[in-house]
Amino acid sequence: MALEIDRYAHVESSIQRWDPRFKLLTLFILIFVLASLRTIPLTVVGAMLSVGLLLVSRIPLGFAFSGLKWVILFLLPFFVILPVTYPGTEAHFMGIPFAPEGMRLAMLIVLKSFSIVIVALVIFGSRRFDVSMVALHRLRCPQLIVQMMLFTYRYIFLFMDEMQRLDTAMKARGFVKKPNLYTLKVMGGFIGTLLIRSFERTERIYKAMLSKGYQGQLPSLIEFKSNARDFIKAGLALMVAVALLAGDWLAGFQVAEKAWY
Amino acid sequence: MHIADGIVSAPVIATGFALMGALAYATTRNVELEEIPKISVVTAVFFVANFIHIPFVVASIHLIMNGLAGVILGKRAFIAITLGVVLQSFFGFGGVSVIGINAVMLGGGALLAYGIWQLRHLLPIKGGEVVFGALAGGLGIFFSGCVLALALVTTGDAFWVTAQAVLGYHLVLMVIEGAVTGACVGFLLKTKPELLSGWKRPDQ
Repeated sequence: MALEIDRYAHVESSIQRWDPRFKLLTLFILIFVLASLRTIPLTVVGAMLSVGLLLVSRIPLGFAFSGLKWVILFLLPFFVILPVTYPGTEAHFMGIPFAPEGMRLAMLIVLKSFSIVIVALVIFGSRRFDVSMVALHRLRCPQLIVQMMLFTYRYIFLFMDEMQRLDTAMKARGFVKKPNLYTLKVMGGFIGTLLIRSFERTERIYKAMLSKGYQGQLPSLIEFKSNARDFIKAGLALMVAVALLAGDWLAGFQVAEKAWY
Repeated sequence: MHIADGIVSAPVIATGFALMGALAYATTRNVELEEIPKISVVTAVFFVANFIHIPFVVASIHLIMNGLAGVILGKRAFIAITLGVVLQSFFGFGGVSVIGINAVMLGGGALLAYGIWQLRHLLPIKGGEVVFGALAGGLGIFFSGCVLALALVTTGDAFWVTAQAVLGYHLVLMVIEGAVTGACVGFLLKTKPELLSGWKRPDQ
């Protein structure tokens, strides 16, 4: 999803209007519930719920897909590896071992990943990143962590550009990456240069911040006000999380009896 | 290499978060104000370096550079890597529920790299910094591979072959990361040695 996760933060929706403190807390609980599911039917329900959440947030689907593409590419090999290598399998398909149980596991993994990435996108894509970080601070996340995340988020874009410039400069001098030691040595220098330039730049930023009175606090004008709607939305999300957890706990007894759902 | 959501079991996830919390707490006590931007720089460079691809025979491998973070930041590298992992998970790289295990895997490697880097004092040979930098970079990432394989194996027998593949991949990665980290340390030594952790002026 590119690096500008909050590109569509201006899109009005009931998720966008949701108090980010409630949103962060309840949707993170939902993420951990989704991660702990163990049966296919429930993970399908979880995936459908997360897609529903995405539709409600009105974040463009194309943007969401550009982020999911990476996850899908990373997880596709599991569909090949797990069925073939699942231990103790007798079943064969066209001469190669093929375990339905391994297939089930691969499905489970992909569905869970898919729904969690979507929920994370809804959390951080529906508000400006700095607002989300201030909300995190109000939720008692240490100042140190919040500030470092804000700095890093800013630096990532700067350093990406810096890296592009370095890359262009190397290509202009005729450098081509090849699988040899020389390339690795050049890449070491490349990263070293990136580090030095980045450090010198941030030193200037830090001095500018000090001269403007920075003493370890980042005061914010953002005020959060919660109303009944925020509580209702949080209640709904928590109810879904508890229902999924209860469903998984009940289905948990059946996992051992029946392997395939 | 990262692990994505939905693979490892709940106990592994919980252990990951517990270890991450303990290590983060132990390594971030008494952080000075001027360290905050410095740590953030390394976090951002770590994040950006993950987009650098190196050709390897037929495929291309992306750099991780957690060992280098350890060589530069010392024990503060843990929080830098952790925050890098957290931000990556927000952007859909890696996973949210596995932040803990990813942080321990990569940040732990960074701490190990720092330990190896410190050993250079025991063997004061010419060019020892480059050798120990390369060792730190290589073993740092190999440690990460071992933690990842361990997380997979403890989740279930189904991942046995996957874990072996992961270890093999990290052996290759170890050579590449070691060479790049060593070269980078050599470069920094010549151009801006004060960036390396524990660097002292020669006249002191």
